[in-house]
Amino acid sequence: MFYREAGQYKTSYKEDSAIFPILQDRIAIWFYLAVAFVIIPLFGSEFLINSVMIPFLVFALATIGLNILTGYTGQISLGHGAFMGVGAYSTYKLVTYFPDTNVVVLILLSGFFSAAVGMVFGLPSLKIKGFYLVVTTLAAQFFLEWAFIRIPWLYNYNDSGAIEVPQREVFNIIVTGPDASVLSRYFVVLSIVVVMTWIASNIIHGRIGRSWMMIRDMDIAAELIGVRPLFAKLSSFAVSSFYAGVAGALMVFLWLGAAEVESFDVNVSFQILFMVIIGGLGSLVGSFLGAAFIWILPIVIRAVPRIMGMDINASTVEQLNFMIVGALIVLFLIIEPHGLARMWAILKQKLRVWPFPY
Amino acid sequence: MSFDESYTTPDGRTIGGVLMEMRNITLRFGGVTAIKDISFDIRQGEIRAIIGPNGAGKTSMLNVINGFYHPQEGEIIFRGETRRRMRPYEAASQGISRTFQNVALFQGMSTLDNIMAGRTLKMHKNFFWQMLRYGPALQEEIEHRKVVEKIIDFLEIQSIRKKPVGSLPYGLQKRVELARALAAEPSLLLLDEPMAGMNVEEKEDMSRFILDVNDEFGTTIALIEHDMGVVMDLADRVVALDYGKKIADGTPQEVQSNQAVIDAYLGVAH
Ligand SMILES: Nc1ncnc2c1ncn2[C@@H]1O[C@H](COP(=O)(O)OP(=O)(O)OP(=O)(O)O)[C@@H](O)[C@H]1O
Ligand SMILES: [Mg+2]
Repeated sequence: MFYREAGQYKTSYKEDSAIFPILQDRIAIWFYLAVAFVIIPLFGSEFLINSVMIPFLVFALATIGLNILTGYTGQISLGHGAFMGVGAYSTYKLVTYFPDTNVVVLILLSGFFSAAVGMVFGLPSLKIKGFYLVVTTLAAQFFLEWAFIRIPWLYNYNDSGAIEVPQREVFNIIVTGPDASVLSRYFVVLSIVVVMTWIASNIIHGRIGRSWMMIRDMDIAAELIGVRPLFAKLSSFAVSSFYAGVAGALMVFLWLGAAEVESFDVNVSFQILFMVIIGGLGSLVGSFLGAAFIWILPIVIRAVPRIMGMDINASTVEQLNFMIVGALIVLFLIIEPHGLARMWAILKQKLRVWPFPY
Repeated sequence: MSFDESYTTPDGRTIGGVLMEMRNITLRFGGVTAIKDISFDIRQGEIRAIIGPNGAGKTSMLNVINGFYHPQEGEIIFRGETRRRMRPYEAASQGISRTFQNVALFQGMSTLDNIMAGRTLKMHKNFFWQMLRYGPALQEEIEHRKVVEKIIDFLEIQSIRKKPVGSLPYGLQKRVELARALAAEPSLLLLDEPMAGMNVEEKEDMSRFILDVNDEFGTTIALIEHDMGVVMDLADRVVALDYGKKIADGTPQEVQSNQAVIDAYLGVAH
């Protein structure tokens, strides 16, 4: 009834080519942005912002990165946890060497390092596909983990063996380090994620995004039509790893405050891959839904016994958590293999024709 | 018919000189010889049919023409120049585009995106502008969208514009594939069994589209087709293959009455 395009005639291809041609979708976007930029900072608790929203946004960004590669280009990677690490360690080196440069700029610059590393490890994709590519990206993961441990220069020879995030200011506001306020960190993360999501959407809806999807759907036909597989695959690896790298840098500098190699291990790679699959391959909205599902659901499950006044010890809750989330993942994939994004689309389609489905 | 002169067909179209010439092409896959010493040419503006029983080497011949297979022997002369060994997308950039025997659409993309994909080689705006979807990149996108919309109108597929192609019936998928090939504005269009698996009505539509493409855009067309009725209606000249060898070449009437062709088809029991 309320969600439909009836009466909204497109008078130009420009309007029809817009990314959200339906007015209600554009209103929804503004609504989400208002919630994220105004409502949550005004009314959200420190716990909500620091432990739910910031990591959710960081993982959503990493998920968008992996989705570009896996969902849009059809190349699977199990190395994205490590690519996040490349972003974090290179930001650490950059803030060490350029202490006076805006840290946000350095975080974005670190993306170029992870992009370069991602491209190098993406080279085998020109020759191999599927499981074999998974194995080479897994090798990248282990090689990089090794490097993060064995090259003390990367963590500035700290005794802890970890990245220790120094204090940095942007426009006289402390944004990194122990004294940075939750809100300032949240706004930096949110702004970067919003802008990078918008950019990802632009790329995906243009020539380059189409060339990725062409490679994904039928690489031979794509090549006959004029896509150069070398360029399409490597550009996808580069953009994807850029996103992962920035996400990794945000994770360490604006959320954790310190990190060692465990923060980028293969579990992280798997976690992001789950987010992509649960959210929906080849969907930006799905990337957010998937990150929310995998990150926020366990927090809710953990909170339930406390809210209901049940006295269950923490490790039992943790076990239950694994079981419930695991079961839900399986259930979801059986019901809708195309992920939450597809469910969302079906729901919207139903809304569009409601209340007269015929 | 002399070789380099143009002539006018009974229905008033002008057929020009030789656009592409295949000289003594031999193509082997390991022990299998798919094409044995075949020579023939395609003239500017004509509809050239390639016929033959299953496994005759027709698809292989199209694959040679668009640079996907590289023949072990022989020469390909395109626009008067001997073509060097090249990658398929180079053939595409020289104006050769094609459809496939088994529909090879991008199943996860909409009809519109599939046809836009056909314009890949004509779009050049760089990554920076793509990122912002603004200025030159947006302008380019809209310009090409206009061309694509013309093709959509031409092939009468307006109503499926936004549908994912995977959900379309086979006949429509074939039509979208033709649209995608046309989007590249090819000078030589290769169609591999464009009417396979279609009912009579769909075949008539497709025949009309092929004739219209040839007539309105002057596109040279090489097509593989099993239905002799369709071949007789569409083609200016026909080359017949059997077991990788050329067995006849000429007007549809000549080829149809050729004894070797009759034997080949009877032998395979069509
Ligand atoms: N990539 C390949 N590798 C090995 N053999 C091949 C390959 N492609 C074609 N062949 C062989 O070459 C021969 C000709 O095949 P082709 O597909 O060109 O026949 P066709 O005339 O198109 O037949 P159809 O009418 O069935 O489509 C066949 O014997 C086939 O098995
Ligand atoms: Mg064939």
